[in-house]
Amino acid sequence: MQHFKLIFSATFVAIKRDRLLHALAGASLLLFLLVPVISMFSMRQVQELAITLFLSSLSFTLLIFSILLGVFSIWKDIEKRYIISVLSMPIKRRDYLLGKFSAIALFLMFTVCLMGIIGYGTITFAAHQYQSEIPVSWPNIFTAMLMSGAKYILLAAVALLFSVISTSIFLPITGTIGIFLAGSATQGLYEYINSGSGAQDISLTGQYVIKALYYLLPNFSAFDYQVYAAYTLALPLDTIFYTVCYWLIYTSFLLFCASIIFEKKEFR
Amino acid sequence: MNRLVLTIILLTAYIAITLPLSASLKSRPDLVKLGYTPSAEVLKYITADQKLLAAQWNVLKVLFYYGTLLDKWRHNIPVAAEYYNMYRTICVAAKLDPYNIDIYYFAQAAFTWEVGRVKEVNALLEYGIKYRTWDWYLPFFAGFNYGYFLHDYKQAAKYLQRAAELSGQQYLATLAARYYYQSDSTEMGIAFLKTMLKQASDARERRMYQLRIQALSAIKYLQDAVRKYIRDNGHPPRDLKTLVSSGYIEKLPRDPYGGHFYVDKNGKVKTTSKLALHGKNSDNPT
Repeated sequence: MQHFKLIFSATFVAIKRDRLLHALAGASLLLFLLVPVISMFSMRQVQELAITLFLSSLSFTLLIFSILLGVFSIWKDIEKRYIISVLSMPIKRRDYLLGKFSAIALFLMFTVCLMGIIGYGTITFAAHQYQSEIPVSWPNIFTAMLMSGAKYILLAAVALLFSVISTSIFLPITGTIGIFLAGSATQGLYEYINSGSGAQDISLTGQYVIKALYYLLPNFSAFDYQVYAAYTLALPLDTIFYTVCYWLIYTSFLLFCASIIFEKKEFR
Repeated sequence: MNRLVLTIILLTAYIAITLPLSASLKSRPDLVKLGYTPSAEVLKYITADQKLLAAQWNVLKVLFYYGTLLDKWRHNIPVAAEYYNMYRTICVAAKLDPYNIDIYYFAQAAFTWEVGRVKEVNALLEYGIKYRTWDWYLPFFAGFNYGYFLHDYKQAAKYLQRAAELSGQQYLATLAARYYYQSDSTEMGIAFLKTMLKQASDARERRMYQLRIQALSAIKYLQDAVRKYIRDNGHPPRDLKTLVSSGYIEKLPRDPYGGHFYVDKNGKVKTTSKLALHGKNSDNPT
């Protein structure tokens, strides 16, 4: 546990000091400040557009952060051979991996909270520009933000798994982006093949492939609560509960697989 | 010192080039084109969790394009508008984000009066109504389009009734009842008004509903008698006084709007007030 804490705090401090992340955070901040200005282009839904833009910017920022941190944090240690000296100490490989992951997860949630404070200001400002018929629902917006954070923690776990599998940087980056795109599309495809026209258009083999991908790949669209936030729709509490359970189980499973592979990996 | 000089030189050079560049770009001919939009099915999968943003981007693209067109037309520059492409683009946006009100607003504003694509706009509005269940504007637009453009009063009344229920606005209720009257669904109109009367708290609003219920009840009373007359005699009465002289009704009811009831050659009871306080002088009952 002590080693876990050590790795965790060292990783978190390193992430906080990363200049590339500072630059990206600065670019995101600029994007957030533009939200009220861009929202003014809408005819009748300035507030709704401000919420959409804010959540989209947050999602994009977290996507970049989760891929960079998930892929590079372990790969960098392997590439620069720090890992050999770290693992020569009495540190369990599992603690090392979980320490790294927990620091990334905490940093992503920290980003969500920080952006949330900025988002509060920008959305409030945009909402005052044009009175919408729909009231701003902060619980819905915070739910969408937290779900977004959870989604990218899951993506970071995917990236971490790829980075322990491969020693090359190519597979973790392309693999993580590929899984993200496929995992975001499977829900729509699954619904399509279960609809009348979809079942007719796609061959039986194709349907089985889609179903297999649907159950195997992480379902990222389950974490998308933007529409509930932008249009103040009633939150489906049971779906949120299932999604959180799904997230816990899937992330644990990915970390479990990553730790098994990492335990058996040889470093020269 | 060298650094300062270099900075000043670069800044001066930047300003010196920016101004003519900006002027030159301004005079560049606009490419007034909406461009291609991929289908909603494709966009749905490739935009991942950015569907709402993709939808809004398409709407803004159409709005900017339309703005450029208006600008050109105002300056008498003939430019052919890509109406089909505009409609297709906002349909794509509606599939990505069916809650987006800009889509329906724009469709209503651009495709009804100018292009006359009322049926297409109503199809889009009916799609939006399924999602924006709280919004009275969409049924109001649909109702207006049915009544004003398509002369389908029954559908107009149906949507205006929905708009009135959602907004609680008295004039929509009145309009809906008038459409019910036009479409020979007087009974439905009365039922609708009675519902609205129950919900009304304002005294003036209640009086308005009562007045309209009174008028529609009188029409229903006369219409029933005309139907009986036609059943017995095989033709409609020459005028409504015949109903009194033949014993179908005791006396002619009064039109609370100040008009006079009459029966047309098809046996339909109408009023000269057209159920409006200004109806006698109005050409259009709507």
